[in-house]
Amino acid sequence: MTDIPTGVVTRGEPVEMLLNMGPQHPSTHGVFRMVLWVDGEKVTDVEPHIGYLHRGSEKLCEGEQFHQVITLFDRMDYLANFNNELVYCAAVEKLMGLTVPERAEYVRVILCELNRIASHLLFVATMGLDAGAMTPSMICFRGRERVQSLFEAVSGARMMHNYFRIGGLKEDLPDNFEEMVGELMPLLQADIEEADKLLTFNEIFLARLKGVAAISVEDALDFGLTGPCLRACGVDYDLRKADPYSVYDRFEFNVPTGLDGDCWDRHFVRVQEMYESMKIVEQALVQMPKGNVTSSLGRRLPRPPKGEVYVRAENPRGEIGVYLVCDGTDKPYRLKVRPPSFCNLSAIKHLLKDTWIADTVVVLGSLDIVLGEVDR
Amino acid sequence: MINSIKGLLLTLVSTMNGLRSPVTRQYPEKGTLWKREEAPTPVQDRFMGFPALTWDGEVDEPFCTSCMVCIRHCPTQCMTSTMKDNPLQQEGKSTRRKIVDSFEINLNRCILCGICVEVCNFDAIVMSHEHEMSTFQRNGDRVNLPVLLEIGTKFQRETGWIPPTKRAKPEPEAAPAVAGDGDTEGSESSS
Amino acid sequence: MSLPIPLLSVSLITFFWIVAGLLAMFTALSVVVLSLTWLERKLLGRLQRRLGPTRTGPMGLMQPVADALKLILKEDIVPTSSEKAIFWIAPVLVVVPAFMIWVTIPGTENLVLKNLGDLGLFYIIAFSVVGILGLVLAGWGSANKYGTLGGLRAAAQLISYEIPVIMVVIAVAMLAQSLNMVEIVEKQGSYPYVLVFPLGLVIFFIAGLAEVGRTPFDIYFAESEIVGGPFVEYSGAHWSVFFLAEYINTFAVAALTVLLFLGGWSGPFLTGNWEIIWFLAKVYAVILVIFWIRGTFPRLRIDQLMAFAWKVMVPLSFYAIIITAVYLFYGWPPWTLTLMSLAGLLVVGYAIYRRFAGPASQAAQVRARYQALQSRSGQ
Repeated sequence: MTDIPTGVVTRGEPVEMLLNMGPQHPSTHGVFRMVLWVDGEKVTDVEPHIGYLHRGSEKLCEGEQFHQVITLFDRMDYLANFNNELVYCAAVEKLMGLTVPERAEYVRVILCELNRIASHLLFVATMGLDAGAMTPSMICFRGRERVQSLFEAVSGARMMHNYFRIGGLKEDLPDNFEEMVGELMPLLQADIEEADKLLTFNEIFLARLKGVAAISVEDALDFGLTGPCLRACGVDYDLRKADPYSVYDRFEFNVPTGLDGDCWDRHFVRVQEMYESMKIVEQALVQMPKGNVTSSLGRRLPRPPKGEVYVRAENPRGEIGVYLVCDGTDKPYRLKVRPPSFCNLSAIKHLLKDTWIADTVVVLGSLDIVLGEVDR
Repeated sequence: MINSIKGLLLTLVSTMNGLRSPVTRQYPEKGTLWKREEAPTPVQDRFMGFPALTWDGEVDEPFCTSCMVCIRHCPTQCMTSTMKDNPLQQEGKSTRRKIVDSFEINLNRCILCGICVEVCNFDAIVMSHEHEMSTFQRNGDRVNLPVLLEIGTKFQRETGWIPPTKRAKPEPEAAPAVAGDGDTEGSESSS
Repeated sequence: MSLPIPLLSVSLITFFWIVAGLLAMFTALSVVVLSLTWLERKLLGRLQRRLGPTRTGPMGLMQPVADALKLILKEDIVPTSSEKAIFWIAPVLVVVPAFMIWVTIPGTENLVLKNLGDLGLFYIIAFSVVGILGLVLAGWGSANKYGTLGGLRAAAQLISYEIPVIMVVIAVAMLAQSLNMVEIVEKQGSYPYVLVFPLGLVIFFIAGLAEVGRTPFDIYFAESEIVGGPFVEYSGAHWSVFFLAEYINTFAVAALTVLLFLGGWSGPFLTGNWEIIWFLAKVYAVILVIFWIRGTFPRLRIDQLMAFAWKVMVPLSFYAIIITAVYLFYGWPPWTLTLMSLAGLLVVGYAIYRRFAGPASQAAQVRARYQALQSRSGQ
C-alpha cells in the first residue's frame, strides 16, 4: 500500500489520487466503502471498508429464542430470505434430530429456488446498471416483482417472510399455489430471456466485462470464494450437488461453470443458474407429495439439547454456514454465520488491482454482495 | 455488432409492447386524469400488515385477555398491555375472567413477523391488511387499544375472518414428537 | 441613455428586432427542452413497459414544468472549498455556446435568426467546442474528485470526438461546395446526402452522440461510476442550466444531422415557412433514435471510448474526406460515393467484429461447454 499523499503537491510531481468511493456512492450496493488509490483513471490500490450496516445480528441471536432468530436471519441476506431461513432451520433441526415432513422439504426447495431466481434477477439488474444499461434493470425487477407477489401470497410478506419453522413450515401453501406457479413460470422465463438477450452478448457489455478482474482457480480457492464466483472459474462445486441437503438429490439439474473467472463469466453463470433453478422448481412441483407441513413440535417451543452443529447450504451468493452452540436453554449460546458475501468480498483487493475506475463498480457488482450479510 | 442490433430490435419490440400494455399499475387509482377508476392493487389474502386486535361480536368485547404471550414472544418488544377484571363476566355474559385494559403497539418497532398471531391462544390478534399508517407526529405510530380494535374490526369485516380455533380442521394434528421439552404456550398463558 | 447603437450603426428598430429574435429563440429552445425531457422520460418508460410520468397533468405533460419549478426553488449549494468564481462561471460557459449555435441554424430557408452565409458551419463548429471549457471548469471548480475526473474525462472525450465531427462536416461542405447551411440544404433538394454519403451520417451521428454525452458515451457524467461527474456538486438552478445545455446540444446534434444529411426542411406537400414541420419531424425522429439507443446500450469505458475515437472514428473520417475528394475531382456519378462509403463502413464493421471476436469466441466456448454439460447430464 502506498502512503496517502499529504500536503500541497507542487512542482508537478506525479502523485496518486485518493478517491473515496462510498458509502453513499450509488453503485456500491448498499453502504460499502472503498478507498481507491488512482493513477489517472487506473486503480493502483484499494482498501475496502465495511461495517456501515453492522447490526450485531449474531449477538442479537443470543438474546432471542430459537423461533425468533428466524426473523433475524431474514434480515441478513435480505435478497435471499428463504435460503437463509432454510439454513438456520436446518441447523436447529440437525441438533434436535427433528425430521421435517416431506412436503415441507419440497415447499422449502421450491421457495428457495424461486428466491434464488429473484436474487439473481436483481444481480443482472444491478450488473446492467453498473455497466450503464438501464433497461435490463427494469425487465429484471419486473420478473422479481412477480416472484415476490407469489411469496406474498404464500408467506404474507414480500421479503421478510418468517415462513419456515424449525421442523416444518408456518402453514401449508395456499390452495391455488400450483396454478400461481404455473402462471409465473412462463412469464419469468420470458423476463429472464429478455434480459439475457439484451445484455449478455451485447458487444459493449462484453467489452466492459470480458477479461476484467479474472481470478484463477487457485486464487479463488485461497480466497474462499464460493457460489457463482467460484463456478465462474470453472470449478464444478455446488453444495446442492456436492453435499446435497434437504431433497436436492432428487432433482436433475446442471451446475453451470465459466471459463476464465472474469466478470462476464460471473454474470453468465448466474444467468444460467436461473434456468437451472426453474428446472428444479418444475420438477419439485411434480414430485411434491401431499400431507402435513407443520412441525412435529406442534405449538411447543424448540429447545435443542446441549451441543454444537455446523450446517451449510448453497445460497444464491455462495456457501452459507451456520455454526450453532446450544447450552440446553431456549436461546442459542452462540451463533456464527459464515456469510458468502463477506468471503467473496475478501477478494476485492486482488480483483481490483490494475483495473480502471469504471471497472470497480462492475467488479463489485459481479461479486454480488449484500451488505446486510457482509456486516451482519 | 450483430448482438447490438438484435438488442435494438428487442427494445423496439419492447417499446411496442409498452405502448400497448405497460405493466405498471397506477397507485392507488387507475385511469386517466379525467376518468379515475378506484382500483388500488389488492394485497394477497395472507398479507401481513400491521397487527391489530379483534373484536368478539358475540359478547361484544375484545378477544384479548391481555395474557402477555404475544408480548413475551415479540422479537422486538414492540407491545405493552395491561389487564383488568372483566365486568361482563361478573354479569354472566362472558366467559373471560380478565380482559384487556390497555394495549399499545409501537408500529415503528414492529417487524411484521407474525409471531404474535401464531402464539396467541385466544384468536385475539391478527395481522391486518393495513399498511399505510404514516403519520405526521413523531409518536403517531404508537397505536392504542381503540385504534387497534378499529383496525382489527375493519379487517374482520373485510375478510370475513373466522377465529382460527373455530375453523374446521382438515385432519388431526400429528402426535407430538420426542424432542423438545420446551414450555408450551398453554402453561405460559394460564397466569 | 447612450446605448452603443450609433457605435454599431444599427437603428433602434433593428436593435429591437435583434432582441426580439433572441428572446424568441430562447423561448423556443426552452420549450423544445421541456418537450425533450418529457419525451425522453415517456419514451424510456414505454420502452421499459412503464408508464413514465403520469401525475402532472394529462399524460404527465406538465412534468418538465414541475421539474423546472422544483429546480429553481431548490437551494443552490456552493461547496465551501470550491473556487467560487469558476464554480459560478462554468454553467454560463456551458449554456451560452449551446444557445449561440442556434443563432444560425435555420429552421427553413427564411426562418433563421441570422444567416451567417459562408460562415455558418464554421461558426457552429467553433462555438460547439467552447462548451468543453465550461465542463472542465465545472469539474475543477467544484473541488470534488469525482468532478475533476469527470471534467478531465469530458475534455478528453469531447476533444477527441470533435475531430471526426469536423472532418465529416468538411466532407459535406465539399459535397455542397458551401459552408452556408441554407445552401447545403438546397443542394439536397433532389436527394438527401444520406443516400450518397451514408458513411458521413454514421460518423456524424456517433461522434455527435459522444459530443453531447448520450449513452453509450455518457462517460463524463456516468452516474454509476463518478456520480454525475462535473455536475456532482451543482444543485438547483445551476444544475438546471447544465441540464438545459445538455438537451439543447442534443437537439442541435439532431438538427445538424437532419440539415447535413437528411435533407433539412425539404419534403413534399409543404411550402414556405410551413416546411419547418418537416424539419421538426425529422429532428424529433433523430432524437427518438438517440433515446432508443440510450434505452438499449450499456456504457463504454473511458479507454475503450478513446480507442474507438482514435482508432476507428478518426481514420474513418479521413477516409470520408478522401473518398469525397476523389469523387468530386473525377466527377464520378453519385452512386460511386455511396459504394465507397458502404465499403468503408463494411471494413470498419468487420474490424469491430474481429475486435469482439475474441471475447465472443470465449463466450461461445463457455456456452458450448455449458451445452455439453447439459447433454451429459441429460443422458
